[in-house]
Amino acid sequence: MTTNGDAQANGEVEDIIIARDVHKWFGSFHALRGVSTTVKRAEIVVILGPSGSGKSTFIRTINRLEEHQRGEIIVDGITLSNDIRNIDAIRSEVGMVFQSFNLFPHLTVLNNITLAPMKVRHTPRAEAEETAMGLLERVGIPEQALKYPAELSGGQQQRVAIARALAMQPRIMLFDEPTSALDPEMIKDVLDVMRELAHSGMTMLVVTHEVGFAREVADRVIMFDEGMIAEEGPPNEFFTNPKSERAKLFLSQILH
Amino acid sequence: MATARMTPGADLPPPRMTTGPAGWARANLFSSPGNSATTILVGAVSLYLIWQFLGWALGPADWSVIPTLGGTLIIGQYNSETVCPSQDCFWRPQVSLLIGVTFFGILWAVAATALVRGVALTVAFVSAGMALMPLPFSEMGMDVRLLLLLNIPAVFLGYWLGKHTPVSSTRNLIIIAFAGFLLVYILLGGTVFGFFDVPGLQVVPSRYWGGLTLNLLLAAGGITASLPLGILLALGRRSNLPFVKFTCVGVIEFFRGVPLITLLFMSQTLLPLAFPRDFPLDEVMRAGIVITVFSSAYMAENIRGGLQSLHRGQTEAARALGMPPWNTTIFITLPQALRNVVPAIVGQFISLFKDTTLVFIIGMFDILQIGNSFIGSNREFLDNSRELFLFIALVFWTINYGMSYVSRRVEETLGVGRR
Repeated sequence: MTTNGDAQANGEVEDIIIARDVHKWFGSFHALRGVSTTVKRAEIVVILGPSGSGKSTFIRTINRLEEHQRGEIIVDGITLSNDIRNIDAIRSEVGMVFQSFNLFPHLTVLNNITLAPMKVRHTPRAEAEETAMGLLERVGIPEQALKYPAELSGGQQQRVAIARALAMQPRIMLFDEPTSALDPEMIKDVLDVMRELAHSGMTMLVVTHEVGFAREVADRVIMFDEGMIAEEGPPNEFFTNPKSERAKLFLSQILH
Repeated sequence: MATARMTPGADLPPPRMTTGPAGWARANLFSSPGNSATTILVGAVSLYLIWQFLGWALGPADWSVIPTLGGTLIIGQYNSETVCPSQDCFWRPQVSLLIGVTFFGILWAVAATALVRGVALTVAFVSAGMALMPLPFSEMGMDVRLLLLLNIPAVFLGYWLGKHTPVSSTRNLIIIAFAGFLLVYILLGGTVFGFFDVPGLQVVPSRYWGGLTLNLLLAAGGITASLPLGILLALGRRSNLPFVKFTCVGVIEFFRGVPLITLLFMSQTLLPLAFPRDFPLDEVMRAGIVITVFSSAYMAENIRGGLQSLHRGQTEAARALGMPPWNTTIFITLPQALRNVVPAIVGQFISLFKDTTLVFIIGMFDILQIGNSFIGSNREFLDNSRELFLFIALVFWTINYGMSYVSRRVEETLGVGRR
């Protein structure tokens, strides 16, 4: 994988995501209240926070599933705007994995993965299928290629969803509570795939409540509260010695 | 733990009287004294009604009215002396049928499923089977019978074409369906939409087309056109562009809000205003346009319901993969929405087919009106109207039940992966 040094030599920006004073309203509800942060290439950022704190909304503004109304977001050197080509360009650079998987139920696992490369990147079918099989191998379920999503367990579906996102060869992966809808014994399978992905040098933003994963894999933890960043820092520091009262209270509730 | 007492592998037989016909009857018909009484009462009434009906149908009923009308039920006045003086026009509806059956053969080759094969072969053999109708040869000549029998080779010809020629791509199928429809239209009319007449063919203005042919023609055109039109209206209604949205809402609400009979009247007086003055818009075309748009307004609402039933995550996932909105609609939302509303769509097809009988309002003689006017003008058959209308009802029921059956099978097939 490319290291940061190579990336800069190639003329690529090192700060792959820059958010400056991002605001977002749902109707009159002020969901994001001035979020500013920078994510470096190959950095793994875990985002924590109580429900309704804006953490999901924030990562959804990064591929513009939600539109921010004030401030500025720059993804891989492209400033997010209403220009539709701009948005599609960013979306194919940024993969996303959802809490509810959102696989396409009318397509087989293989077709779920090959559809976007074939329609968006115009990859020939044979090549797209070869890539897809490679990805299914990587997430550990090549034998499920011809099944339909409903025939798979939740953990398998989520791994297909990861493979589907990776098929577009994204530079950034967003995970929106990827394990929250899974049975405990399936969480590990999905986290293993995410761990492997993190070690491969992918830039990742992960909204999750998996403290173990955060401690082990994250380079940085960001805690959201009431639409703002309440605290951020390296996981060791954050989990053992939180500075803010809000973080202390939150940690006391999730680390029982 | 209790698991230690379980002998692995030993399948116990189910408790007595829960399987087989007796078990079924016990569970469903005689599960309680009240249910048993209801079963016996309803059973007795049903048997009595069936007995009464059979007693009439096989006894005093006089079915001769049906062969008396004979081919008129199928093609109406088409081959009558006033319309086709030489009375040699009968082959034109028949060749139209052959074209239709050939198209079914092509579909069979393209779809390659047992269902489509069944439909194609059924249509071909039922059509050919009409050649064996027990009518005197003076009523139904050898030429008519031979043309009907040709439906069997026609379906296989279609199959062969589908297998061995490049007709089978989706685009070509649409072109062929459209061309076939135009060909039938020109063949039946003997004129290219009034612009110029086909040499050697007696011109038969479309107001003389009739019988089941007319019903089927209107239904085939209406069904094939109203589905895509309904899809466009449904998508348009969900559009973000105000002009597109309000146009579609206007069309849908207008055509749903006005009775079809009113629309058919209007088609004769108002529709020509929408076209250039010399535009050769004949009666069948006008009626067809109205029936199609009327049906697609309902179709649009059915499809919109299907689109709304989808989880927002489907669109989000597609958009997150960088698929543009149009691609998302074609490959993600529309296929799922259509699958969810197959029963409603087929219900609309059936409704449309039945509505084709309303063209009697504008003076056209479809199969029902043929029967009606025949009884009205031949008083000696007045007592036989029951037999005639029962037969016409059976014709409609058979075709509609066929559509319903196909729809159920399609649902089963599409249900894959949705468990």
